[in-house]
Amino acid sequence: MPKEPEISLTEKTFVLEALKQNLRVDGRDLQSFRDIQLTFGDDYGFVDVRLGKTRVLARISAEVTKPRPDRQFEGMFTITTEMGPMASPVFEIGRPTELDHTLSRLLEKSIRRSTALDVESLCIVTGKRVWSLRADVHFLSHDGNLTDTACIAVITALAHFRLPVVTVSGEDITIHSVTERVPVPLSLLHWPICVTFSFFGEDEGGDMVCAIDATAQEEALRMGDMTVTVNKNGEVCQISKSGGVAVEAEVLMRCARLAAGKVKVVDKLIAEALREDEVRRNKGNLDWLKEGKSENER
Amino acid sequence: MEGLRNDGRRWNELRRIHCQLSTSSTNADGSSYIEQGFTKVLCNVTGPAEPSNRQRVKQDSATVSCEVYFAAFSGTDRIKRGRNDKKVQELQTAIQKTFSSIILTHLFARSEITISIHILSQDGGTLAACINAATLALIDAGIPMTDYVCACTAGQSTSIFDNEGASPDPWLDVNYLEESDIPSLTVATVGDSEKIVALSMENKVRIEALEAMIAVGISGCARVRGIMDKEVRRYGKEKLEAEGE
Repeated sequence: MPKEPEISLTEKTFVLEALKQNLRVDGRDLQSFRDIQLTFGDDYGFVDVRLGKTRVLARISAEVTKPRPDRQFEGMFTITTEMGPMASPVFEIGRPTELDHTLSRLLEKSIRRSTALDVESLCIVTGKRVWSLRADVHFLSHDGNLTDTACIAVITALAHFRLPVVTVSGEDITIHSVTERVPVPLSLLHWPICVTFSFFGEDEGGDMVCAIDATAQEEALRMGDMTVTVNKNGEVCQISKSGGVAVEAEVLMRCARLAAGKVKVVDKLIAEALREDEVRRNKGNLDWLKEGKSENER
Repeated sequence: MEGLRNDGRRWNELRRIHCQLSTSSTNADGSSYIEQGFTKVLCNVTGPAEPSNRQRVKQDSATVSCEVYFAAFSGTDRIKRGRNDKKVQELQTAIQKTFSSIILTHLFARSEITISIHILSQDGGTLAACINAATLALIDAGIPMTDYVCACTAGQSTSIFDNEGASPDPWLDVNYLEESDIPSLTVATVGDSEKIVALSMENKVRIEALEAMIAVGISGCARVRGIMDKEVRRYGKEKLEAEGE
């Protein structure tokens, strides 16, 4: 496995000294994300998220399967992540790195365990037929902060996805194609969004700097990190900080509150992008969408 | 019963902690055994030694690696957890990262320190017990660390806020029943500095309730440190006296 190139001493000193003065190499301030760009594909549930140079692709697919015997009322939802040499030469196919493990666990905890998706709504016939949803996350380019980008990608893709309408009559199940019946959105209970903080310098004497959305360069130089997952209602769904520099509880709480504020902005951005896409898709035929009501004056 | 939890503790009481050093004298450089209530964990430390894997060699510091084994009989259901189980891998990375920042790794370049943990019984607070056991085993192995790492759990007793807006007291050191019922977090601090080195929470909690939970967790860590320190000193004294004779 090729090792990640080490950052030269001069570069390291430059970045760290700049951070001490609250400056970053790309000109952002410490508490701001890079530009978030959301691009939707032709299909529902296909999203391409760019955060600066980091690029992540998420795709939702659904199929009908048998439910697990111990959970007869629930559909299935799995998230799979794939890191290949496309994102960075450090990653190899079929040999998951430590980052791979932590990332997939984080997504699992943030999205699945916080019950963002109501899996009971995926049930078609109890004990016989349920929808099995699968979110595939592909990393196309790695310039730091894969966690937050992947989380935004999965949530946006889920919110964008439409499930085909199913009618049940007796034993027969009919899955209607998109042209036959308008597919329905998933029932998402809330949108958990990850914010990762990076800590630079020791906590002694208060000269520790904490920044969000680190680039790959900053990630290689940081002394510790913490990921907080919050939704816009101010509920913390998951926190994980393992190792790294020891931090006062007060600093961590400040980070959590900051994350709650940031998430509101990101949440709005996603909602806006989804609405624009909806309008674009319904070009010319469905006027009620633009007017925001279900009945028109005749 | 007013104000008592299902096992008869009050909100700020720890479960009984029993710890031991040097539990296996032959095959490990350091070892320990800890019981926190019915959570029982055995830990062995080997190293600093030559890395088993060439890829793990670091030129300027020691590599810390961690292996966690869940005994199949440790939980309520008999589950065999393999090496690739996600829960096992998460525990391993959490412990490995926590101790990489605490052990003075620069003193042992090109070597490896292995922490292997056997979970014999699970009754809530598994991660916390593992971290505590690893700290004791590392002390027994004589590996230099900046300070003790002590971990403890805290849970939010109920999500209902009373009329004055004050939340009820969080519960310290949750057991298995409480852990599966209420949101809880694990916090690990360094020595008595109240600084957090590891924090992990997996359930949904209002951000307002978080601060109280962390505060209670930290106070629990300080108590755990006291208990562990007492045992380390007792063991050290016993060892010295035995050598003096």
